[in-house]
Amino acid sequence: MADEYPIFRFNAEREAIVEETVRRVLASTRDTLFALNDAAYHEARRLDGSRKPKDLAELEEWRRLARRLGRMSELERRDKLREIVEGYGWDVAGNFDPRVYRFSTSLVPSLVTGLLAPRKLATLVRDPRKLFGFDALAEKFLIDGEVDLARKLAARGTVVFVPTHSSNMDSIVFGHALDRADLPPATYGAGKNLFTNPVLAFFMRNLGAYRVDRRLRHKLYKDVLKAYSCVLIERGYHSLFFPGGTRSRSGGIERHLKLGLAGTGIEAYARTLLAGHERRVYFVPATINYLITLEAETLIRDYLSEAGKARYIIEDDESSRPGRMARFVSKLLGHSGAVHIRFGAALDPYGNGVDEHGVSHDHRGRPVDPASYLRDLDGEVALNPAREMQYTRQLGEELAVAYRRNAVAMATHIVAAAAFGALRRAAGTDDLFAVLRMRDQVTLSRDELAREVLGVKDRLLELEKRGEAAVSSEARRMSGGDLVEQAIQAFRGYHTSPVIQPREDGLALSDTNLLFYYQNRLAVHGVGWDPTAQGEPRPRTAAA
Amino acid sequence: MTAIGVLGGGPWGVSLARAARHAGSEVTLCTRRDHPALPGVRVTPSMRVLAEARLLVVAVPSSSVRAVARELGDFLDGGHVLVHGIRGLSSAAGGGTVAGAAPTPTSADDIVTISQVLREETPVRRIGALGGPVQASELNDGRPSAMVVGSEFPEVVAAVKRAFAAEWLKIEGTSDLRGLEWASALVGCLSIGVGFAAHIGATPGLLAALASRGVDEAAGIARAAGADPQTLYGLGGYGDLLASIVLAERPEVVLGRALARGAPLEAAQAEAALRIEAVTLVPRILRFAELRRTEHAIFTALAEILNGSQAEATLRRLFD
Repeated sequence: MADEYPIFRFNAEREAIVEETVRRVLASTRDTLFALNDAAYHEARRLDGSRKPKDLAELEEWRRLARRLGRMSELERRDKLREIVEGYGWDVAGNFDPRVYRFSTSLVPSLVTGLLAPRKLATLVRDPRKLFGFDALAEKFLIDGEVDLARKLAARGTVVFVPTHSSNMDSIVFGHALDRADLPPATYGAGKNLFTNPVLAFFMRNLGAYRVDRRLRHKLYKDVLKAYSCVLIERGYHSLFFPGGTRSRSGGIERHLKLGLAGTGIEAYARTLLAGHERRVYFVPATINYLITLEAETLIRDYLSEAGKARYIIEDDESSRPGRMARFVSKLLGHSGAVHIRFGAALDPYGNGVDEHGVSHDHRGRPVDPASYLRDLDGEVALNPAREMQYTRQLGEELAVAYRRNAVAMATHIVAAAAFGALRRAAGTDDLFAVLRMRDQVTLSRDELAREVLGVKDRLLELEKRGEAAVSSEARRMSGGDLVEQAIQAFRGYHTSPVIQPREDGLALSDTNLLFYYQNRLAVHGVGWDPTAQGEPRPRTAAA
Repeated sequence: MTAIGVLGGGPWGVSLARAARHAGSEVTLCTRRDHPALPGVRVTPSMRVLAEARLLVVAVPSSSVRAVARELGDFLDGGHVLVHGIRGLSSAAGGGTVAGAAPTPTSADDIVTISQVLREETPVRRIGALGGPVQASELNDGRPSAMVVGSEFPEVVAAVKRAFAAEWLKIEGTSDLRGLEWASALVGCLSIGVGFAAHIGATPGLLAALASRGVDEAAGIARAAGADPQTLYGLGGYGDLLASIVLAERPEVVLGRALARGAPLEAAQAEAALRIEAVTLVPRILRFAELRRTEHAIFTALAEILNGSQAEATLRRLFD
């Protein structure tokens, strides 16, 4: 069964996929002068100031092109365009090695261990189960939700997985979850910066990941990515996108989704219709929930210092420090239910729900033909990028709702929300930065905090009853005191500074930034404090 | 030739059907009420027949739009384009959540736009709204006027422009659908204030001050509702209100005048003849503005006017 997954055909089709991508980009580029100028301008800007010889050579080449462009004939420009687009096409294309797939899916922690100690890889390839027991893993990773539905739909059409994004661990963890849930592997575009880690790069390359170089900002490159992703979906390759774009800096669930490449799902579906072999596309939302987040400290610092204008790519964070990564993994494996992946109900490209037979239903449950959305007023199916963009935006709104409903609240989130509530009361202000400055200034007795925690949990359970939130089954069972204890344990030993510190006089609320980070996960439910909500001040750059 | 269906046989629906017919479109009007003779317009009580047209305009009161849309939805698919001409706002369905509604779940008022209702109740995604100063009477007589069509889908804007294209009707498009819907509703409310102030002798300068402040307040409210406040300063907002100052026959203005004379609300409504969405809307918008902490001095005054407060005191408050 697994051998029939579309991705297993990838190597045989690779060349055809790249060629089709190149053909489409060239056909859709009408103004060659503009396309080349735009690329040369952005590339020259990016490379200017670099000291690397390779960059400098590239910079010189772009500058030379920019100077010559005006004198080049249309034919010469077409040739140059083809050369550049082909270069990008092959650079983006990934690889898929079934042996690597079988090996890596057998155990994620081995993979992670492999990342930390590349030399161990050889041993691991021979017997990955040596390091971690298979059973031990099962209770660390919880997978639930609409898995059956996703499985059935994957057999009928192309599935586009669209999970929340909070950590560089996400793609590995989610890939593992797909395997555990008997779902097909999915191809995805990974940031090129992740490929600098030789071990990670080895896996990414061979697991069907393609490379996305986020430093390239010009239209031509984006067109290549879009065409490539579209061709993959059209050909039935199940795909994985993080529609939030980058990892959530605040720790909150994504509310405004751009979708980016995931938007190619609609075009891919339309093209299969136009080509006379309809192949439906199903979007499967999912939340990836961590008891602790690998990069929490860097992310929240980034959020607070540059609120609003995040550095797009963080090159240096916890995931590039082996020691932190090891601590994270060992910490994670010390807790049961430390990672919880919940699949939401599948949607068609227009945000309609889909049943197990692949039939779309509108909000009132009426069956509706997804092809009808692509008809113009004369009843003809046609591509219409402006329309598809709006459908995609609306789909993003539906996904945000799915995230809110399927985000799983865990001990760390609940306790942080209770603690941050206490901080805010003590500060007596709605100024976020005043609250954040209250490091080590508030101490609560265990009982006090436990009571607050229960209050937060009750509100979440109330929302859960209405289908508007989810509480992890573990957190549901635990008393307020147990939740506090689990959160303290989870924070301790992983985060460099203590988050909640037991002292003689009670529990000191120490790392206010991290408490803010973890409570933000519940802000979307109105349970944690939501400084970005309307009527509340937006976070500004910290004064001190 | 564009085929267009109009749902709703009230004065506004009939005028829209007439205008589209005049523009050369193939028009079907779906109504179960008595209606004037409409040469060249196919009239049917059947929604199934109506849905043969792919471009549909809904012109029913906001209070019944949910039920009507639910019924109509049985005959629609994703290929339809649904536009409404309702100058009001609606309420969230009990328990139902639809994406695109309030960005955060709050205990605030449950106001939703009509387009959101259409999205909840039908399979259609290509949705739009009509707005701007154009009045039913102008459409009937072919007097030059201006209309706004709002939709995030350029296809919808183009279809409406085609269906109503006439030399005497200027049609502007905007992609800020939500902004246009809020603008239409808010200006409807402000127009009552215009009628009221004009009757009790406000000078042109004072009327202008009232209009400017009113639009500013409305822009703040619309922003809180997730719309682009800039839309309020366009034809669908300021332009619309400007027309009310001159349009003595506009129903909201008639109502405001009657209230200024001291007529009870029921009598004032009877005088306006047409159903006025703003009457029930003012207190809800006021509550919304209070909860979202946006400026609401004028809406507070409007609520007082509708409650039959002393004209003098209210006017003084308007210009404080």
